[in-house]
Amino acid sequence: MKRSKYSDIKNIFIDTVDKDSFVELESTAFNYQILEESLDKPLKMILLFGRPGTGKSMILNRLYHNLKASREIHYFEAPILSEKEFLRNIYESISSQRIPKNMRVNFDGLLKYCQNLRGQREVMFLLDECQLYSEALMEKIRLLSDTRVVKFVITLHKTENEDIIAKEHFKTRIWEVIELKNADIQDLEIYIQKKLFQKGFVEVSNMITKRDIKFIHACTKGNFRESNKLLYTIFNIYEYYDLYQPKKIEKKTTLSKKILEMAAIKIGYIHD
Amino acid sequence: MINTKELEKRWYKYKTKGMLLVASILTLLSLLIYGGYYILYKLDINIGKKEEPKAVMSIKKVKEKNSSIVSKPNVSDVLLLPTIPIIDLEKEKLKDSRAKKRTIEYNIAKKRHQPHHHYTHKTKLVKAKVSTYLTPRELSTINGEKKRLNFQRTGNNYMSIMKEKFEQNKNPRDALLIAKAYYNAGNYKQAEKWSLKANNLNSNLDESWLIFAKSKDKMGKRREALKILIAYYNKSKSYKIKALINKMKSKSI
Repeated sequence: MKRSKYSDIKNIFIDTVDKDSFVELESTAFNYQILEESLDKPLKMILLFGRPGTGKSMILNRLYHNLKASREIHYFEAPILSEKEFLRNIYESISSQRIPKNMRVNFDGLLKYCQNLRGQREVMFLLDECQLYSEALMEKIRLLSDTRVVKFVITLHKTENEDIIAKEHFKTRIWEVIELKNADIQDLEIYIQKKLFQKGFVEVSNMITKRDIKFIHACTKGNFRESNKLLYTIFNIYEYYDLYQPKKIEKKTTLSKKILEMAAIKIGYIHD
Repeated sequence: MINTKELEKRWYKYKTKGMLLVASILTLLSLLIYGGYYILYKLDINIGKKEEPKAVMSIKKVKEKNSSIVSKPNVSDVLLLPTIPIIDLEKEKLKDSRAKKRTIEYNIAKKRHQPHHHYTHKTKLVKAKVSTYLTPRELSTINGEKKRLNFQRTGNNYMSIMKEKFEQNKNPRDALLIAKAYYNAGNYKQAEKWSLKANNLNSNLDESWLIFAKSKDKMGKRREALKILIAYYNKSKSYKIKALINKMKSKSI
């Protein structure tokens, strides 16, 4: 079976939370540094928020992999919506003991357990997609953080209609807020280039002109997830042409405007 | 694998729409540019073209008005004439002075030939009726006191001149003047005599009847005077006679 080089290129832009695919940009490096510094402060909770696709999960993932060797840190990649399961996971992470399936963790007992550990240990929990947690569970997270034994770094989606920071239980307890934003044109260019460089596709990276970056940025507004999606579609089309109609992409040193527009039509950024 | 055939179709559709949009924008722009050009230039030119006949008309009007002064311009002159007609002021002055001279000469000639004109006038003249009354000058010599003084001063001379004149002309008016002069002088008998003379020559002279009756009255013959006046009034219906009749009647009463 024939295989195109564009098959590998398109896979670079598959949306994954992988520490190896993390691209360090000026803005993300700055935010990461703030986050790392905040962990050393006597804070109960740290909020990391921004629109979907701005790299919140990627930062959390990187933070976990960078600190897991030096600190007691636990990363809840997927939100645990059941309170019973959530408390069980917290207890198991702190105590390193498995609880039988027919048993459950008593919250008061967990609180007392944490209070007994004050001054002895500092356990860090990284919770992604916290907007999915119930208010009752968020209240329990707050009470656990008050013991000063457990520290939470939470991520939230910033939405148009809801100012999450204004919520009472965050307003009073979150001491550090880090907002992540979409990339500007320069950051997006660096992001795409670095992604391709990391996998050794320098030639393809050189094919992408500033005009193409502008077009991609205009479509995706600099959102990393959206940009990845568009770039994946672009190279998917390239893959097809390379395999079945190679004449259409031969002798071209830059990205085809037609293919860019086709990809944008496919995703729905421009309408036919 | 992606279905590029379907995607290409959609892309062609998108491009066509884009091209149509660009074409429509370009058409609109070109229309706007043409419209602007038309408003700025074409309309001005049209206005200019419309004004040309006006200019010709104005030239024509000037020609008509000054036909006696301005000489006929050539066709080439008309074509080259600007919208505002230019008149040579020097020529105009010269023409004006000539025209003035002509009018002065004409007026002089008119004054000279005025009497001649009078005679040669062909319209019918209405013949004036001979007045039976004395002229204002004649009356003033009779009624005015100052004139009376003149009569007194030159009375003899006046009477003799008038009598000579009467003898020559036999004009009833002269006789009446003499009668009036005698009446004013208080010579009522002579006044009666000369008024009768005048009356004999022209019985329609009211004054002759008046002087005659008044003289008779002064001489104490009022009844006779009244009879004469009434008889004449019945014939002439003169208001002067009537007034005198009434006066005499009232005096008698």
